[in-house]
Amino acid sequence: MHSKLTPGLIAAALPLAATAAPESFTVDPYHSIPYFEVVHLNTSIIRGHFEKMTGKMTLDTAAKTGSIELSIPTATVSSGDPDKGSRPRSRDEHLRTPDFFNVAEFPTMTYKGKATKFNGDHPATIEGELTLLGVTKPVTLTVERWNCGPDPRTQGKRYFCGGNATASFKRSDFGMKFIVGAVSDEVKLWTSLEAFRD
Amino acid sequence: MNDLFSNPAVQGGVAPFVAGLIAAILLGRFRLGGLAVAAAFATAVYFIAGFGFTPLTATRKIILLGFAAPVAGIVVDFAFRPTRIGSALLAVAAAAAAAWVFWPVLSQKEFAGAVLPGATALLAAAWVVGFSEQRLAGDSVRTAASGLALGLGTGVAAIFGAALTYGLYGVAVAAGSGAFLLVQMITGKRSYAGATFTLSVTVVVILIAAAAMILAELPWYSVVVLALVPVAANLRVPAGAPLWLQAVLSSLYGIVVAGIACALAWHAGG
Repeated sequence: MHSKLTPGLIAAALPLAATAAPESFTVDPYHSIPYFEVVHLNTSIIRGHFEKMTGKMTLDTAAKTGSIELSIPTATVSSGDPDKGSRPRSRDEHLRTPDFFNVAEFPTMTYKGKATKFNGDHPATIEGELTLLGVTKPVTLTVERWNCGPDPRTQGKRYFCGGNATASFKRSDFGMKFIVGAVSDEVKLWTSLEAFRD
Repeated sequence: MNDLFSNPAVQGGVAPFVAGLIAAILLGRFRLGGLAVAAAFATAVYFIAGFGFTPLTATRKIILLGFAAPVAGIVVDFAFRPTRIGSALLAVAAAAAAAWVFWPVLSQKEFAGAVLPGATALLAAAWVVGFSEQRLAGDSVRTAASGLALGLGTGVAAIFGAALTYGLYGVAVAAGSGAFLLVQMITGKRSYAGATFTLSVTVVVILIAAAAMILAELPWYSVVVLALVPVAANLRVPAGAPLWLQAVLSSLYGIVVAGIACALAWHAGG
């Protein structure tokens, strides 16, 4: 009797085990766009963004664990000022030089983190490390608006998760010291993040 | 006070000039007045970036070489006689230094995109260091005038190439060279320049120009024109003219060529 029951119990438990297993996701680069903002001359807030972000993510809502790895090509930085006009160079060109993102020498910025706090099934805090200009420092992301479900664009055939995340750090910690003061040291990050289940 | 020292004009110009002037006055009697440039450059580095060297980026390698160059110059001046072979060896060493600085960056590019900036950087470094050592190091007025024009031209061209930090370093070298030159103009006496001065100027400035080309937006042909500044500063001036007039004329020759490089950099943007 016991031996006949065991396969049945295992079969019944399999879907639960599948749900509890960590699921892997691939970041949707078209809807995952990191923005940053700095204060200019102690007056206005200037925003910029990177046009592309790729990465992978794992999520285990039962175990309340998750991880994320993001990669951002620094050459895609844009602050909405691509034309030099009457100046020798535009602000976007300047952002790509060693004064700021040094894209020729450091073409990629990365973030690796683990979800450490959950709000129900949703990751709320990701603690990780940002590598920028060859320097790696801890940066914590606060996750907002997280939601998962069938993708309506594929009539539910594809499953995806998404939300926003915010963080802040001092750029001088990463060696980006050019005119700290005139352009604030503190950088605020805000990113949209969507990822499809593999 | 903090506001004063965070002003780029003070960081790259005024403070380096004062440091260079003090060094030129105090060390001139020991044939080390050429350290004015090293003092000016170190002052700019202190205010702009600090003395951290991790990670060892191209810019930090240039700063390290900027500190090594005057040491090498002192060794050359006090241990060796100036010879053509010695100048050639220093030129080769400069090209090797350029390769050390830029290879990690250029190796990330496709071959076709790396050849022109790489070759320009290596040849310009070898030419400027070798020519200046061979033809200018023995003439403290011309080599100081060359340093003033080369530093100023590189600084302004780098700023036009969207690399303001490099621009400040170039201007700082010009400030140190100007301080060294000013002491000679005021006293009417030639100081000793030698490799101590010449290497301090040329190694830093040509690598900054190359960095502004490879890592920022300075066009390669601006770097080529900048490499001709020492040639211009070496043009004839009236031998019987007072020292201050020789200094002014040599500086003007160099600044005209440096100005062409700056104009090319301005117009290069799309």
